[in-house]
Amino acid sequence: MTKVFVIDVARCNGCYNCQLACKDEHAGNDWTPYARPQPMTGHFWAKVDEHVRGTIPKVKVHYMARLCNHCEKAACMDSCGSGAIFRREDGLVLIDPEKCTGCGTCRTACPYDVIYYNDALNICQKCTGCAHLLDHGSKLPRCVEACSTGAMRFGEESELTDDVEGASVLMPETGLHPRVFYRNIPGQFIAGTLYDPTEKEVIIGAKCRLNSGAKVWETTTDNYGDFWFKDLPVGVFDLVLVAPGFETKPFYRLKTSGCVNLGDIPLKKNK
Amino acid sequence: MSKFEQERQSVVSFSLMGPESGAPCLVDSDGGKITRIRPYRYDKEYTDAHCNPWKMEAFGKTFSALDHVPITPFGLGYKSRVYSPNRVRYPLKRVDWDPAGERNPQNRGRSGYVRISWDEAARICADELVRMRDTYGPEAVLCQSDMHGEGKNVAPSHGCPNRLMSLMGGYTLQMRNMDSWEGWYWGAKHVWGCEPVGEQTPQANLYPDIAKHAELLLFWGCDPETTPLGFGMYMPSRLCYWFAEIGIKSVYICPDLNYGAAVHADKWIPVLPNTDAALQLAIAWMWLTEGTYEKEYIAEHTYGFEKFVDYVMGGEDGIPKTPAWASEKCGVPEWTIKALARDWAKKVTSILHGNGGCFIRGPYASEPARLEVMLLGMRGLGKPGVHQAKMIEWNMWAKDYPIPYTGEFLPQVPHVGDPLRPVDGDVPEEINMRRFVLNPEQAKRAPELIDLFKRLPAPKQFIPRCLIHRAILDGKAEWYGMHVFSTSQIPKANNVRVPTTRFQFEKKVYPRPGLSKVHMMWSSAPCQTTCWNDGNLTVKCMRDPSIETIVVQHPWMENDCYLADIILPVCTKHELNDLGNDLSSGSFQSVYLEEPCCEPVGESVSDFEACARVAAKLGPEYYRAYTGGDLSEEEKVRLFYRASGCEERMSWDEFRRRKVFVVPCKADAQEVPAGLFNFYKDPGSNPLTTPTGLLEYSSSDIERNMPDDPERPPVPHWIEKSESHDERISSERAKTYPLLCVSNHGRWRTHAQCDDIVWNREVETMKIRARDGYQYEPLWLHATEAEKRGIAHGDIVKVYNERGVVLCGAYVTERLIPGACYVDHGSRYDPIIPGVLDRGGAINLITPTSMTSKNATGMAVSGFLVEVEKVQDEEMEGWKRDYPEAFARRIDPDAGVCLEGWLIEEGLTEEGGGGK
Repeated sequence: MTKVFVIDVARCNGCYNCQLACKDEHAGNDWTPYARPQPMTGHFWAKVDEHVRGTIPKVKVHYMARLCNHCEKAACMDSCGSGAIFRREDGLVLIDPEKCTGCGTCRTACPYDVIYYNDALNICQKCTGCAHLLDHGSKLPRCVEACSTGAMRFGEESELTDDVEGASVLMPETGLHPRVFYRNIPGQFIAGTLYDPTEKEVIIGAKCRLNSGAKVWETTTDNYGDFWFKDLPVGVFDLVLVAPGFETKPFYRLKTSGCVNLGDIPLKKNK
Repeated sequence: MSKFEQERQSVVSFSLMGPESGAPCLVDSDGGKITRIRPYRYDKEYTDAHCNPWKMEAFGKTFSALDHVPITPFGLGYKSRVYSPNRVRYPLKRVDWDPAGERNPQNRGRSGYVRISWDEAARICADELVRMRDTYGPEAVLCQSDMHGEGKNVAPSHGCPNRLMSLMGGYTLQMRNMDSWEGWYWGAKHVWGCEPVGEQTPQANLYPDIAKHAELLLFWGCDPETTPLGFGMYMPSRLCYWFAEIGIKSVYICPDLNYGAAVHADKWIPVLPNTDAALQLAIAWMWLTEGTYEKEYIAEHTYGFEKFVDYVMGGEDGIPKTPAWASEKCGVPEWTIKALARDWAKKVTSILHGNGGCFIRGPYASEPARLEVMLLGMRGLGKPGVHQAKMIEWNMWAKDYPIPYTGEFLPQVPHVGDPLRPVDGDVPEEINMRRFVLNPEQAKRAPELIDLFKRLPAPKQFIPRCLIHRAILDGKAEWYGMHVFSTSQIPKANNVRVPTTRFQFEKKVYPRPGLSKVHMMWSSAPCQTTCWNDGNLTVKCMRDPSIETIVVQHPWMENDCYLADIILPVCTKHELNDLGNDLSSGSFQSVYLEEPCCEPVGESVSDFEACARVAAKLGPEYYRAYTGGDLSEEEKVRLFYRASGCEERMSWDEFRRRKVFVVPCKADAQEVPAGLFNFYKDPGSNPLTTPTGLLEYSSSDIERNMPDDPERPPVPHWIEKSESHDERISSERAKTYPLLCVSNHGRWRTHAQCDDIVWNREVETMKIRARDGYQYEPLWLHATEAEKRGIAHGDIVKVYNERGVVLCGAYVTERLIPGACYVDHGSRYDPIIPGVLDRGGAINLITPTSMTSKNATGMAVSGFLVEVEKVQDEEMEGWKRDYPEAFARRIDPDAGVCLEGWLIEEGLTEEGGGGK
């Protein structure tokens, strides 16, 4: 019987309701023994990060909601010298505000940067999964309840198997087995627009071939002369753009450490 | 009872529109304090069998009503607003304003406030009203009481001062100009009628039709993730996801990658602010040149097309409006303009709007608005999939909704205020404001309310809101049209004189013969500085010696409040009893019982009660006339429910138990033909409301009435520069002010509302905390423009032109076209030098003074020239040295400007002042 969160990044419109609902629930409200009040500002037990990628006009935005991962092998729990951090039967990991000494060891141990120090109370605090609500009749934590698009889900892992299937976790290399799963985190992109500088026309239907050495991706330019290779891994790519009647245009060693907008690309007419 | 079970759960709506209440939320409270605010769930009390949830289907996928209210950041964060350090807690008087002596108008915006008792405040207000009437005549008092504001019905945010002033024998009405619809109202109506505001009507069933037939959606300056939030909810956002699921492509045409484009756009075409008309003309040129438009449709459905063709092709002025011509003006590459024109010609396409922002509020906004309708006409407007559809205000023309959301019946919740009275002699009283009177059906159901709704005399004089400052400073004004705020006619649109374009040729003047000029202002909507045109001129006008008295009634100390002489404290709706009504959130219409979640903050009272206290000072007969009987707030709620017609469907006792009455959806709502389908099929039998009944590519009304207006000629033009505005990158002015400023409706505010929600202010697109700790309003700037100016992300910058200087925090981004900057309007004013320099980021302070154009009485508050510079430390130190009092005002670290900053010592104690 363990609870999981599933967040579909492709369905997140960046409303920040999760971040805001968490504050509405916890800032200034005392839910001891589950949690003492969150400071009015400055803590983000649920936090939305905005990611803006690419350059004008090939710009994509996505938002990542981050909260305590309630890890199966919670590093914070192991690190806590005062036995304040514990896992409930339902899998939620809580910091007991009565036992916490505010030493901050858990904050160092957690690789996800989701534990906050409350200096007024001298304790460490984080997402409780709104356990105080779940134990008193609510089905959902506030962040999930307030999600404006249904991008965020919460429930028994056994009931959310379709959502969890194929989902990823943040930094799986930590080996901590997070219980917050993500779907559709976008990869890098390479994009551009082909045009004929003489006729001042976009070039539609050009063949675009991207090669990483290990794998080849192909697409054609659309009605706006645009091509997009989305969800690419970080790596180095060669790109060839081929349009009938035009000289072939190659790009070598494009690096996707960030997203790449090649801009408006003029193709020369064949002589 | 454990603390995990809340003492009280109230239903309180959430809407920032004004008259209507929006969707219900659940508010838990304990010990008289609000604990939390959550979305209401319709399945809390109701089953699908009762609600009959609507749905629409296309390509094997279904989109349907939600089982809960998709709450917005405003509704969610409202606890922070109720308990804001910005609340006006007791009546205030400007310290150096003495009604018996020196009034010091020159110190408005600078001097502080002291606490006074309600008794003193009400007496001063009453005495001033009497003095005005006796000295100048009642029209000396300007009543500024139009929307927006909290949605309330029994004690509404607006309209109560009008009630009070009617009893004085009249007043000068501030008539709201058609804001956020400027171009449509003053332009598009001349093409297609579409009253009342010039956006497409009817909107019936557009979304089911678009889902089935459209292949391409153009979000032209539309942000479905922003503008709908204050009035509706997140239904438009979910609709956008559904359109993507069923394979409809979305192209966003706007200077900024707005919040909708950020997550929904298949393609973003950045265009320079307010240059859409050039882009549109080039698209028309492409279609005309390539012969790719609906020629038969044009032949049957239009008037004056050949004049339009003549202008586009260059016959009239020798300039063909080619893509190359347009590209220089609008910043879109020539090849992209051609590609857009061809893609649009190939695909069944609708245009979507969410009001406001970069497309419709610029100088000469009538022109892009008209051109848009003409382009839609060239594609066969009204045929399946070809519409102008709205993502906002689904309630406004309430008979039929663009989603199949119509209820089995329309609950008629009365609204006691009367913020937009028809003006005596201009408009027959019976044609306007149907929603603010008790209609015969309501009166029959609840005759006890008749006295409360007794008609009070209409005002005899008015000034459009966008002309207030000039009218007062010049002592006179004249303009065309604008004596009806047209949306106020809904939802009984069939019963009224339709505000056709003919209104726009009627000349009006201020002052009217024999009536006084304005010498006193009374506002329940104190946001003129941050929401209207040339706010710095508003500051000058409010400091003018001719204005002897300024009264504001408002829950929060913000914006125009700092210029007031007397401030009356008002409750938020979370502190009141009311009957709420939701006609706009998109899942179900509902009526709900609102009960206070907490005690009124400080000595605040409802707007209705605030004016009642002044009426009491005028004398018992005034008090009786004002209050319309001695019904308590609770009794009014009870009677409003009876009047609404809901009681015939659910008893009062059951309603009290359930608190929400969900109106079941009408089963056959989808049978109404979509949009202008009937006009498309048979224009002869289903004419538009234009003089010819056709789509007018040359306006026959303008041809007849103002054929020589260079700023709004019969055929829409690209206007580079003219008498009213000189705001193009080609201008001489652009050498000094090279950036075109975009000002949208705020993502984290609704106009001026909700700027103080501390949790929203932590979001970086809401406020940027600079090095000095102050949370500045973000100013977006493209990385290349920032680099040119040595500006780094997070720097304090000044944005300025001849009209003043506004400080902001630099938000360096790829989400904005170079050549532009972007600041949302509505940030709270924080004057350093009143009328000159502002720290609060209230960008409207420096928007153009002139109207949309000389005969179009709208405002131009986006797409104007500015320059942006980094504020150097020495400059800031200089301001601190020269204006120490401005920097000494307390700023709450999380909420920003606050009451305490404006109080002077003696007013700080809670014990001071007195009782009622």
